Amino acid sequence: MDKAADPMDEHAGTRATFDRALDGVKDDVLRLGARVEHALEQAGLALVSRDTDLADQVRWDDAAVNELQQQINTEITTLIATQAPVGRDVRELLALYHASSELERMGDYAVNIAKLAQQLAGEPETPILKQIPQMERICREQLHAAMRALVDVSEADARGVAQRDDEIDHLYNSVYEDAMRLLSESPERARQTTHMLFAAHHLERLGDRVTNIGEDVVYLATGRVEDLNP
Amino acid sequence: MTESGDPVTVDTHPNTPPMGEQVHDSAPTIRRVDSAAARTAERPASEGIAALAADNAVFELDELSCYYGAFRAVRDISLAIPQNQITAIIGPSGCGKSTLLRSFNRMNDLVDTARITGSIRYHGVDLYADGIDPVEVRRRIGMVFQKPNPFPKSIYDNVAFGPRVAGFRGDMDQLVESSLRRAALWDEVKDKLRSPGTALSGGQQQRLCIARAIAVEPDVILMDEPCSALDPIATLRIEELMRELKEKYTIVIVTHNMQQAARASDLTAFLTMGDDRAGYLVEMGATDEIFTRPQHQLTEDYITGRFG
Repeated sequence: MDKAADPMDEHAGTRATFDRALDGVKDDVLRLGARVEHALEQAGLALVSRDTDLADQVRWDDAAVNELQQQINTEITTLIATQAPVGRDVRELLALYHASSELERMGDYAVNIAKLAQQLAGEPETPILKQIPQMERICREQLHAAMRALVDVSEADARGVAQRDDEIDHLYNSVYEDAMRLLSESPERARQTTHMLFAAHHLERLGDRVTNIGEDVVYLATGRVEDLNP
Repeated sequence: MTESGDPVTVDTHPNTPPMGEQVHDSAPTIRRVDSAAARTAERPASEGIAALAADNAVFELDELSCYYGAFRAVRDISLAIPQNQITAIIGPSGCGKSTLLRSFNRMNDLVDTARITGSIRYHGVDLYADGIDPVEVRRRIGMVFQKPNPFPKSIYDNVAFGPRVAGFRGDMDQLVESSLRRAALWDEVKDKLRSPGTALSGGQQQRLCIARAIAVEPDVILMDEPCSALDPIATLRIEELMRELKEKYTIVIVTHNMQQAARASDLTAFLTMGDDRAGYLVEMGATDEIFTRPQHQLTEDYITGRFG
């Protein structure tokens, strides 16, 4: 077929601008995910090592997370307004918009855990319930996997992320039971125990947010809104 | 419709009174297809129709192909156009959108070499059957074109022309006013009805053409890129008008402007061109579905501007 006469060529090249901008947004969301992953790791470390300076660093760094999220939202809003995306393009932008909101919220949970680390450091030392570092590690792995699924637009990987959320929930229940036991056995350590319970609670919530990103990926891949954690 | 076993009659449609009451005294009667059984026997139920044909289908196309001489412009299209809805036809240049639209009111009859195979049923009536009067078809199924084309006459006469030709003997002033009102043009022209229609702005001219189409009490309004010559504001006015008109009419619009299809239509049909350069239907469905999660990669590629 004569190239010049090919009707499919009438819009050829018009996507270059859009594709570049979309790639830019994706890169920013990945950077946001990496920042939050790092913040979570640092907060977990601050918790077990009673490192208040490290916890401070996590709290300071959150400003950059918020700023990046707002930048992403602006980029996406501009793309929607100027490019009027449809089909998979609009789904992708909406998924990225929602994922960046979830990441920002996860950053807040990391900050909350850092604050709890500082409070715990101000109390007489008590052993950190071993499930908490486990939860923190799984959350990070899940977050990493969810970001991969988002980049690869892999529905299967997204479902895998959601399935592992059960592990986090199970560990959280276990923390709760241990905390109840500690409260009755060692009431003098009630503050430390409650701090730990809250830290586990934040991690459990964070895990749910990771599952939400998995749902964004399923929406992006299929166009269907599905509850992966019913 | 075809599955129900009930014969479809023209009379059942509220917007199309029986022929005896038409302005055309001498119009030949549009012949009704004898029975649903006969219709289902002569063609296999295609998936497209099975999925979309409801009791409210105005048009049912079955394996429709349109030819200009030996060249097949449109290939094997089966679909149903529902009543009181806006159906948009989109697709790349040359994919046969306009040819398809023109087949709905036999406008292609005016081209010597044009012919069709397959069938188009209008309220169950075979539009291309012997004895169907194409003039009557075009009165019931009006058309608005890409470029506003008012007659070189006054605004009033532009609207009154069709009814006069059709032998309308009622209150012409009233008919002109109501047609202009329904076309959302009355307030702008009521004080200058004797001015030439061609003196209006492009958007006003297009609404005048819509008023002219409405004046003969059609059932369907076909629009062939009605806004491509208009500025964005005039375009939005026409789209707004389409939404009002669909309460009373069925609208089929061909548009190059995908955002217009997305904004203004209820259903969207996507046509593309095969290696034989004949246009064919890729997908038809609810507009919000087509523009957020199309089923076919070809549709996705077209609406998102990914080609090749």
